[in-house]
This record gives sequence, structure tokens and C-alpha cells, in this order.
Amino acid sequence: MQASFESTVALPAGVALHARPAATFVKTALGFRSQLTVGLDGKVDSRVANAKSILAVLALGATGGTVLRLSAEGEDAPAALEALASCVSGLVE
Amino acid sequence: MVGIVLVSHSLELARGLADLASQVAGAEVKVEPAGGGPDGKLGTNGDAVREAIARADCGQGVVVLADLGSSILTVRHLLQGKANGHVRLVDAPFVEGAVAAAVMSSAGQSLEDVARAAEEARGASKF
Repeated sequence: MQASFESTVALPAGVALHARPAATFVKTALGFRSQLTVGLDGKVDSRVANAKSILAVLALGATGGTVLRLSAEGEDAPAALEALASCVSGLVE
Repeated sequence: MVGIVLVSHSLELARGLADLASQVAGAEVKVEPAGGGPDGKLGTNGDAVREAIARADCGQGVVVLADLGSSILTVRHLLQGKANGHVRLVDAPFVEGAVAAAVMSSAGQSLEDVARAAEEARGASKF
């Protein structure tokens, strides 16, 4: 069984995970082979989406400042997690 | 990249959706609208679809989404006898399928993966 990795990262204030930012995130995820998910922080809402699906990511409706839970499972999981986290913190509108 | 063609009875609908998909996925993906009848009214036009497919084709294949009824028939008629798999009509919701396909294409995914993402849009919740 492959190890699973997790981390949390906050969306920059004022940048929602919609339209272009969501596509930038999904494109980053599609560059890896691991199974990748992105979820809400679980305080009010703990939905989890396939990080490689634009529609699933858009449906999260994550707004600026939201803490996202990222998880990765597979051969390139650590690298994927690092890339996704840095992608999220660098997102712009 | 895989090209995307959007076929609608309405040119405005096809153009508006092409704008939306390009805005989300980025301008590097070819998203080509084909809408309205030969007289410029609501309808479908095989020549417009053929031209849109030619514009969208960068050699990696083309995924075609159509809105309803005779749009589908027009595309099918056009593709009849050319079933080499390079141009693929997908059974997908128009808006979500177009956005999903455009994003997959912009990430350099294969025709197979782009077509599948469009078709899987049928099962996606909006919220």
C-alpha cells in the first residue's frame, strides 16, 4: 500500500478557488501521477474534491483565506503535495 | 493541445460559452464556436461546424460538444464515414463539459482524457 501524505494551506485573502485560479490549481495537479484531493477545513464543511477535476474543485466554492486540506497518495505524492501547496499560496485573481 | 468545438442552435450561446471556457482554461486552448443556421437565425449549419473543427484542430484531435437535438444530428452527419477517432462527438452537458474539456486540454492531456472529462461532467454536482 502506498503511503498517503497530507498538508494544509490557506488560500490567499481575496482569492477564491474559482475560474482561473481553480484551473491553475487543477493544471498543477494534472502534472502528477498520484491521487490528489483537496478538501475544506472541516469546521463547517468537510467536502473533499478530486484535485484533478475542475468541476469538483469549483463545486467546493472555497473563498479567499479558506484553509484547504491537501492529500496525496502515490509514487510522486510528496512532490505533488509540495507543488500544490506552493501553487495555492501563490494564486492570484 | 486537443481542440474544442461548441455547436449550438444559437451563435451567442456558442460564443459566450467559448469565452467562458477560454477564460477559465487560458487562451492557449483552441475553443471554437459554431452556432446558428445559415441565415443567421437559430439553427444549425454543417459548414460552420466543419470550419470550426478545422480551426480547432492542432493535430492532437478535436472534441465536439453540442447543445441539443439537431445540433447532434448535424455533427453526426458531418462525421459520418470519418470515424478515425480524431474528431470525437461527446455526450456531455454543454457548459460543464466545455469547461472540463478545456481545462484538461490546457494541461496537455490526451484526446481520450479530454473526452472522458467532458462526459464525466454529467455526474458532477454544482455545489
